[in-house]
Amino acid sequence: MENFLEQMAELFEVDSVNLQDEVIAFDAWDSLTGLSIIALADDEYGITITVNDILEAKTIQGLYALFNQKK
Amino acid sequence: MLFNPVSLLDKRYLITGAASGLGKATSILLSKLGAELILVDIDEEGLNDTSKMCSSNVIKVIINLYDISDLKAKIIDSVSKFGKLNGFVHLAGRPYISPLKSINEKTTTEVFMLNTYVGIELAKICTNRKIFAGESGSLVFISSVYGLVGSAANVGYAMSKSALHGVTKSLAIELAPKNIRVNCIAPGFIKTNMLQKISDSFNSEYNDTLTKLHPLGLGEADDVANSVAFLLSDMSKWITGSIMSVDGGFTAQ
Repeated sequence: MENFLEQMAELFEVDSVNLQDEVIAFDAWDSLTGLSIIALADDEYGITITVNDILEAKTIQGLYALFNQKK
Repeated sequence: MLFNPVSLLDKRYLITGAASGLGKATSILLSKLGAELILVDIDEEGLNDTSKMCSSNVIKVIINLYDISDLKAKIIDSVSKFGKLNGFVHLAGRPYISPLKSINEKTTTEVFMLNTYVGIELAKICTNRKIFAGESGSLVFISSVYGLVGSAANVGYAMSKSALHGVTKSLAIELAPKNIRVNCIAPGFIKTNMLQKISDSFNSEYNDTLTKLHPLGLGEADDVANSVAFLLSDMSKWITGSIMSVDGGFTAQ
């Protein structure tokens, strides 16, 4: 979990993230950040997700659940 | 006050390879133009020399660029003390002269790592909101005439330098929304220690041949430094994704 939160902070270009933070509320959220999350999911978690999956997940917690649900 | 469109006052840049050759000349010039600099190299003594010749606020950071996680940690630490960056110039690099039949994977990978991939990592680190100053963003890579034209016994080096051209153009598109420009300078042969070491391994005719390849003669380190200053300054604010030939006419032939 800690590693996941660090990875999210890196991609959203902030010092740290909270589980309840909304994905689209980050200043750094854009289509390229979306692609970065998809690439991370593929590279490090071995799962295939879409931008829609990310948007539906809504929050960092949702993304964490998404990553683990598809694992 | 005189109008100076290449003034770099209040700007901060990271310079790799700052201890010698092109990196040293570039650091000194940028400093004269008012830029504050993070000077990066593995050669502490050389960094001290460069630092003494700089007239603006500079800090020295000893980094082994092959160690990517150390690179990131040290840049973040330096920026926290120094202030956010407007960009960087990746001048560190190494030559690799080897004919195809003697090329090896280990050295080729190291050449690619230092000359090319470190540039990508620098871009990743320095364009992050925690590091980037948010305005007048400019990244400059240094390739070579041999990223543009062929020469024998140079395939590994050519791979690393021509790859930078693709990197430059891709990042120019990706970073334009952040108003960060990305350009590359492709120099001809410059009178530096690195060139001297290469020349020493050939006969005297090699030097004559080299000179003849450049209609304007061999270059000075300042010729490249001047171009870097232009590409960092707002004078080039509409230039991104370009490969600038600074080669005394080498590739015009």
